[in-house]
Amino acid sequence: MDFTAPVLNYALLAPILIVLGGALVGVLIEAFAPRASRHNSQLFVTIASLVAALSALLRVRNQSSASAAMGSVAFDGAGFLLQASILIIAILSVFLIADQENFTALAAAVPGSEEERNSLQADLRVTEVYPLTLFAVARMLLFPLASDLITLFVALEMLSLPLYLMAGLSRRRRLLSQESALKYFLLGAFSSAFFLLGIAYLYGYSSSITFAGIQASITGGSGNDVFLLLGIAFISVGLLFKVGAVPFHAWSPDVYQGAPTAITGFMAAATKVAAFGAILRIYYVAFANDEWQWKPVLIVIAIVTMVFSSVVAISQRDVKRMLAYSSIAHAGFLLSGVIALNKSGLEASIFYLFVYGLATLGAFGIVTLVRDSSGEVTDLNRWSGLGKRSPILASVFALDLLSFAGIPMTSGFIGKFSIFSAAYESGSTAILISGVLSSAIAAFFYIRIIVIMFFKDPVEDGTSVVIPSALTTTTIAVTSVLTLVLGIYPAPLINFIASSASFIR
Amino acid sequence: MVTSTSLVYLIALPLFGAAVLLLAGRRSDKWGHLLATALSASSFGVGLYQLSQMLARPTEERAITQKLFSWINVGTFNVDAGLLLDQLSICFVLLITGVGTLIHIYSISYMSHDENRRRFFAYLNLFIAAMLLLVLGNSYLNLYVGWEGVGLASYLLIGFWNQKPAYATASKKAFVMNRVGDMGLSFAIMIAFATLGTVSFSGVEEASHTASKAALTAIGIMLLVAATGKSAQFPLQAWLGDAMAGPTPVSALIHAATMVTAGVYLIVRSNFIFDAAPTAQLLVVIVGAVTLMFGALVGTAKDDIKKALAASTMSQIGYMVLGAGLGPAGYAFAIMHLLTHGFFKAGMFLGAGSVMHGMNDQVDMRRYGALRKFMPITFATFGLGYLAIIGVPPFAGFYSKDAIIETAFNAGGLKGILLGSTALLGAAITAFYMTRVMVLTFTSKERWEENQHPHESPLLMWLPMAILAIGSVTTGFLFTRGHALVNWLSPVVGEHAEGEKVLLQPMVVSGLALLAVIIGVGIAIAKYQLSDVESVAPQDVSIFTKIARKDLMQDSFNEAVFMRPGQALTTLLVQGDEKVIDGAVRGVAATALGAGSTFRRTQTGFARSYAALILIGAIALIAAIWVVTQ
Amino acid sequence: MVLPLIGSVLVALIPNDQVLRIKQAALGTTLLVAITGVLAWVKFDSGNTALQFVESAKWIPSFGINYAVGVDGLAIVLILMSVLLAPVVVLAGWNESEGGRWSAKVYYILLLILETMMIGVFSATDLFLFYVLFEAILIPVYFLIGGFGTGDRAAAAVKFLLYSLFGGLVMLAAIIGLFVISGTHGGYTFDIARLSELHTYMSSTTQNLLFLGFFIAFAIKAPVWPLHTWLPDAAESATPGTSVLLVGVLDKIGTFGMIRFCLTLFPDASKTFTPLILVLAVISILYGAFLAIGSRDIKRLIAYTSISHFGFITMGIFAMTSQGVSGATLYMFNHGFSTAALFLVAGWMISRRGSSTISDFGGLQRVTPVMAWSFFIAGMSSLALPGLSSFVSEFLVLVGTYTRYPVAAVIATFGIVLAALYILIPVQKALHGPVTPGNENLPDLTLREKIAIAPVIAVIVALGFYPSPLLNVINPSSAHILEVQGFTDPLPSESAGK
Repeated sequence: MDFTAPVLNYALLAPILIVLGGALVGVLIEAFAPRASRHNSQLFVTIASLVAALSALLRVRNQSSASAAMGSVAFDGAGFLLQASILIIAILSVFLIADQENFTALAAAVPGSEEERNSLQADLRVTEVYPLTLFAVARMLLFPLASDLITLFVALEMLSLPLYLMAGLSRRRRLLSQESALKYFLLGAFSSAFFLLGIAYLYGYSSSITFAGIQASITGGSGNDVFLLLGIAFISVGLLFKVGAVPFHAWSPDVYQGAPTAITGFMAAATKVAAFGAILRIYYVAFANDEWQWKPVLIVIAIVTMVFSSVVAISQRDVKRMLAYSSIAHAGFLLSGVIALNKSGLEASIFYLFVYGLATLGAFGIVTLVRDSSGEVTDLNRWSGLGKRSPILASVFALDLLSFAGIPMTSGFIGKFSIFSAAYESGSTAILISGVLSSAIAAFFYIRIIVIMFFKDPVEDGTSVVIPSALTTTTIAVTSVLTLVLGIYPAPLINFIASSASFIR
Repeated sequence: MVTSTSLVYLIALPLFGAAVLLLAGRRSDKWGHLLATALSASSFGVGLYQLSQMLARPTEERAITQKLFSWINVGTFNVDAGLLLDQLSICFVLLITGVGTLIHIYSISYMSHDENRRRFFAYLNLFIAAMLLLVLGNSYLNLYVGWEGVGLASYLLIGFWNQKPAYATASKKAFVMNRVGDMGLSFAIMIAFATLGTVSFSGVEEASHTASKAALTAIGIMLLVAATGKSAQFPLQAWLGDAMAGPTPVSALIHAATMVTAGVYLIVRSNFIFDAAPTAQLLVVIVGAVTLMFGALVGTAKDDIKKALAASTMSQIGYMVLGAGLGPAGYAFAIMHLLTHGFFKAGMFLGAGSVMHGMNDQVDMRRYGALRKFMPITFATFGLGYLAIIGVPPFAGFYSKDAIIETAFNAGGLKGILLGSTALLGAAITAFYMTRVMVLTFTSKERWEENQHPHESPLLMWLPMAILAIGSVTTGFLFTRGHALVNWLSPVVGEHAEGEKVLLQPMVVSGLALLAVIIGVGIAIAKYQLSDVESVAPQDVSIFTKIARKDLMQDSFNEAVFMRPGQALTTLLVQGDEKVIDGAVRGVAATALGAGSTFRRTQTGFARSYAALILIGAIALIAAIWVVTQ
Repeated sequence: MVLPLIGSVLVALIPNDQVLRIKQAALGTTLLVAITGVLAWVKFDSGNTALQFVESAKWIPSFGINYAVGVDGLAIVLILMSVLLAPVVVLAGWNESEGGRWSAKVYYILLLILETMMIGVFSATDLFLFYVLFEAILIPVYFLIGGFGTGDRAAAAVKFLLYSLFGGLVMLAAIIGLFVISGTHGGYTFDIARLSELHTYMSSTTQNLLFLGFFIAFAIKAPVWPLHTWLPDAAESATPGTSVLLVGVLDKIGTFGMIRFCLTLFPDASKTFTPLILVLAVISILYGAFLAIGSRDIKRLIAYTSISHFGFITMGIFAMTSQGVSGATLYMFNHGFSTAALFLVAGWMISRRGSSTISDFGGLQRVTPVMAWSFFIAGMSSLALPGLSSFVSEFLVLVGTYTRYPVAAVIATFGIVLAALYILIPVQKALHGPVTPGNENLPDLTLREKIAIAPVIAVIVALGFYPSPLLNVINPSSAHILEVQGFTDPLPSESAGK
C-alpha cells in the first residue's frame, strides 16, 4: 500500500485559507489582547482578512481546476461567483455585527444572573463573535466548492457550528435567543444524520464519494437503484434543511427571531448562498443524469415552499418572523432555479442569490435600528408611522420589500424574471404558475408593511429609530443602492455571470 | 348639383349669437336680447335671399349644397360636414327663422321681467341654429347633430326655470324620452352604413333603388322610432305635456311650430326609404292615426290652457305623420299642414301667453272667462288661429287638414276607410276641445281669482300674434292655389301618380269634415257656453274623463313598466356590486389570511415537533421519489 | 420623455418650505413637456405607418432586452393626451398637494415621475420595457392615492395596488412564456415587431393562454367588468388631480395594451375570445351606467361612468374594424378630457362644499354659474352629445361594431339612454332645483381654475366639430394594425349594385 502525499494548489485555496488564518488570529487576540482594544482589533482583523480573501479570489478567478485538492474541491466559474458573493455579503454583515448593541455582554453568563448584570455594567463585549464569523465564512467558501460527499459534509458541519453559537448571543430576550440556538443545533444535528445516511447509501450505490464518480455510475446505470433513491432523498433532506425549504423549514422562523438581528441577516444571506451553491453543484453535477427521479419531487417541494410560506407570512405580526417566512419563500423560488437544470437556470440562481442576499442584509440592517428602551422593536404594529419618523430609512426598507416582492426597477424583479423563465424553459409550467401566484400572495404582506410604515400614524410608545453607526449606514446604503441599480441596469452583472458561470464535471 | 358658399351663414349667425351671449355673460344683459333678435332676423333674411335665388333657377337646379369640411373619415365611413338646401328644407328654413324671429320679438317683452332674459335669448338662438342644422344637414349624421342639438336647446328651455324641481324634472324627462328616439336614429344610421355603405341622403337614396326590402324596412322603422320621440308621437308622447313647464314663447316655437315637427321632416325627407318599405309606411300611418286620436282625447280633458294646446299639437302632428305615411300622395299635404300649423298653433300659444301675462300667469282655464272684453286683440288673433285649426274654410287649417283626410280616405280599401274616418272623428273632437278652450277663456262668464286685472299685452307681444294670425288666415289658400306647394315639393318627394280610383270626391270629404266640425263645436258650446262651469274641476266625473285627465295613463304606464323596474334593477346592481363582486375579491383576501393563521399553528415552537416534521418530510420524500421511480 | 424626470429632480432640489417655487417648477415642467408633445404630434408624419421618433439602446443584451421607444399614430395621440392633461392637473389641483401625508414636494415629484412613466409606457416598443413601466407606474400612483387622498385612502390604495399587481404578475407569466418561445424561434427578443411574428409558431392553446395572460392584466387596468371594483374606491379616495391621471390616462394603458399586444401578438386568439370579450364589454357598458345612476357619491359616479365608457372602448377594439379601432383610440383621447373636466369640476365642488354627496348640492347654476356650466358641458360630452368630442368616437365605435357584430352594438346603444340618466340626474340634483342650505354663498371658479378648465372644454368642443387632426393621425396606424393581422372591414351587405 503506497501513500501519495496530498497535492494542494494553494493559490486556489488561498481565499479559504486566508479567512481561516484570520479566524485563528482572532482567537489569539481573544486569548491575549487586553479587553479594551479587543473589539477594534478584532473588527480590523476580520474585515482585513475578508478583503484579502476577496482580492486573492479575484486574482485566481480565471483559473479552474478539478484537482486543486485531490479532486475533493472543484474550482470553477460558478464556484468563483458563489465565493465572491459570500465574501461580499460577509463583509457587509460584519459591518452590521460591529454594532455591538445587539449582543450580550457575556455569553456564558446565565440570563438574569448577577454575573450578567456585572458584565453589563462592565460594558463587556462578545468579541468572540468575529472569529466565529470568520470560521463560518471559511466553511461557507468551501461548501459550494466541495465536489465529494465527505468534504461537503465536513463543510456543512463546520459552517453550522459557529452559527449555532452565534444564534445564542442576543443581548436582549436572551432566553429566547438561547432557546433558538439550541433548537437550531438539535435540528441541525438531526438533519445532518439524514445527510450522513444519504452519503452512506450513495457510496453503497456507486462505491464512490466524488460527484464525478456518482454521476458516472448513474450514467452507467449499474448498481442498486434503491440505494440511489435513498441516497438522493436523504442528502436532499440535509441540504433542504439548511436552506429552510418546506417541510424542513420549521426551525428558521424561531431562529431568525431569536438570533441577534445582525446574525440573522448574516445567516439569511450568506448561508443561503453557500447552501444553494452546494445544492446547485450536487444536483447539476452528481445527480444531473438522474433528473427524472428527483426533479418531479423537487418541483413539488418548491411549489409547496413558495405557496405555504407566502400564505403563512401574511398573518405574521413580527417583522423578523415575517422576513423568515419570506426567506423560506425565496428558497422556493431558488429551488426552481435548481430544477431548471440548465445554464440559464444556473446563472439566474447565482444572480438571484446575490441580489437577494443584499436586499436581506439591508432589510435586517434596518430592523436593527428600530428600537425602544428595551432594545429592538420587531412588532409590526409598532412600526406604524415609521415613514413619518424617518422617511429615508422607511423608504429604503420599502425598497427592499419591493425587491422581495419582485416589483420592476428593483433587482428582485430581474432575479425573479430570469429564474422563472429559466424554469419555464426547462418545461415546468407548474413552477411558473405557482411562482407567479405566490408572488401575488407575497405582495400582499410586503405591501401591508409599507402601509403600516407610511399610511398609519405613529404610535407614541417610545419606539424610535437610532442614528445608525457609520458601518451600518454603509451596509444599508450599499445594499439599497445595488438593489436599485441592479434593478435598472443589471446588464453588466448578468453578462459577467453569464461569462463565467459553469460547473466543471 | 349646384354648390353654394352662403348656406353656412344661415346657421352661423344664430350660433354666433348664442356663443356671444353665453360667453359674455352678464356684461351683455343690456343688449343681448336685441342682438339675438337681430341675428335671427338676419338669418331669416338670408333665407329669403336663398329662396329668391332658388326661384330664379330652373326646377332641376334648385337644390344646392355646400361642403364645409370633411368631418369624420375612417375607412369607408366618410361623412362631410355638408349642407343641403332644396325645396323641402327652404320651407323649414323660412318657417324656423320667420316664426323664430317673431317669437324673439315677442319674448323681448314677455321675458322683460326675468333677470335671466339674456340666457333665455341665448338658448333661443342656440335652438334656431340647431334646428337649421337639422333641416339643412345633407346626411343623416349631420341631421343627427341638429337633432340632438334641438333636444339640448329644448332641455335648457323647458328647464329654464329649473329652480322649481318639477320643471327640472320635466326637462330631464323630455331629454331622456328624446334620447330613446335618438337611439332609433342611431340604429337607422348604423343599419344604413352596414347595409348601404353610406349615410348621406343622396347616397342612401341612390342605394335604396337596389337595396333589399328588409334593410329598408329596418331603416324605416328605426327612423319612425326617432320621429315618435322628437315629435311626441305615440308611444313616446309623454314628455310633451310636461314640456309646457318652459316659458310660453318656448312652447310656441319649439313645442308647437318647429322642433316637434322634425319627425315629420325626417319621414318626408326619407320618402325614398318609406316608399320602398310598405311595412314601415303602414306603421307610420298607424302611429299617426293613434296619436291624433290620443292627443285629441287628452285635449278634451285638460284645464291647463297650455296643456290643452300641447295635446292638440300632439294630435295635429298626428295628422302630419298620417299624411306623411300616405306616400307621395300625402307628403306635400303633411308639409302643408306642418306649415299652416306652425302659424296658427304658434299664434295660439302666444295668445295663451298673452292671456297668462294678463292673468298673473294663471293657466287654469276654469279661472278665466269673459276675457274677450279685456284683451280684444288677443281674442281676435287667438280666434283666427282657432278657426284655422278646427278647419273652417277659408282658413289655413281647412285646406291642409282636409287634404290629409281626403288622401286618407283615398288610401284605398279598408285601410283608407279606417284612416279616413279616424281623421274625420279627430277633426270633430278637435273642434270640440278647441271650442272648449275658446269658450272657457274668452266668451263664458268670468271665474277669476281675487285681484285679477286682465289687460291687453303691449305692442311687442301682440304684433307677432297679429302677423301669425294673418298667416293662419292666408297660407292655406296660397299653398293650394294651383297646387303651388305640391308642385314645388314634387322634385324632392316625388310625383303623385294621378288618376287612380278615388273613393270619395273632394267635395264630399270637405262636406263631411265641415259636418264633423259643426257637431264638435255644437257640443262644446252647449256644454260650456250655455251652461255654467265650476271654477274647480269637478271630481265626480266618468272614469273616461278621469283617464283622459291623466293623459290616458301614459305616465302611470311608463312608471310601472320602465321607471320602477329600472330603479329596482339599479338598487339590485348596486347591492350586487358591493356584496357579490367586491365581496368575492375581499373573500379571496380573507381566505388567504385565514389559511395563513391556520398554518401558523404548525409552528408550535417545540423542537420535537419540528424534528417530527422533518422525519415525516423525509419519509414523504422517499415515498415520492419511489412513486416517481416506479 | 426625459423632461419630466429632470423636472422631478429639479423639484426635489427645491427646499420643502418654498412650496410656491415647487409648484411653479412643476407647472413649468409639465407645460414644457406639453409643448414638446404638441410639437412631436405636429412633426408626426401621419402618412407613414412605421414607428417614428425611434430611439433604441441595449439594456440587458443577454435577454435580448432593449430600451426601445417609438410611436405610431395610436401612441402619439395618447401621449399627447397625457402631456396635455398633466399641466391642467397641476394647475387645477394647485392646493391638492397640501394637507397630504407628506410635503407638497413629494406630491409633485411623484406626479412628474408618473408623467415620465406614462409617456414611456405608451412609447415603449420593447415588451420588457413596457412591462417594467407598466408595473413600476403603480408605485407613484399608489403613494399619490394613499398619501394625498381623502377618506379611507390607504385601503383604497392597497386595493388598487394588489389588483393591478395581480394582473401584472399574470401578465408576467405570459411574457415569460412568450420570451421562451421567442428563444426557440430566432433568438430571445422583446421587440414587439418581432414578437408579433411568433404567433405563427404557437399552438392555438398556447396562444390562447398567453392571450389571456395579457388580457386579464389589461382588463383589470381598463377596467372591464367584473374586474372593476378597485376603480370606484380608488377614484373616491384619490384627489381629483390623481383621479384624472388614474382614470383619464393610466387606465388607457389597459385599452392601449389590448390593441398593441392582444391584437398584434395574438390575432388568432383575439378572434377566438372576441365573443366573450364583447359580452364583457357590453355588460360593462350597461352595468357601469346603472351603477353610475345608482351612486350617491359624485366621484364614484364619475368612476362608474368611466367603466361604462371603457366598455365602449373595449368593444370598439375587439370589433376589429377600422371604425372600431380608430373610434376606440379617439374615444380614449376624448374620454381623457371629458373625465378630466368632470373630475376637476367635481373636485372643486367638493372642496367648496366639503362634501361629495350629490344631494348636498343644489341650485349651483344660480350660485356658481361658471362652475355649473363647466360641469354641464363636461357631462354633455360624457353622454356623447353630438357636437362634442365624445359623440364622434362613440358613434364610430358603435358603427364599427355594428358592421361586424350587430347584436352587441344594438345592446350597447341602450347605453346612450342610460348615459342621459346618469348625467342628468346629478345635473338636476346638484345644479338645478332650489339652492339647498349651505350652498348659498359658495364662491365661483377662481381665475386659476378657469384657466385650468378652459383648454379642456375648448378641446372637447373643438374635437366635436373637427376631429380630423386626430383621426388623420390615428387612421393609418389602426388600419395598418388590422391589415397586418389580416382583418378587413366587412363590405356593405347591400352594395351589390354599386
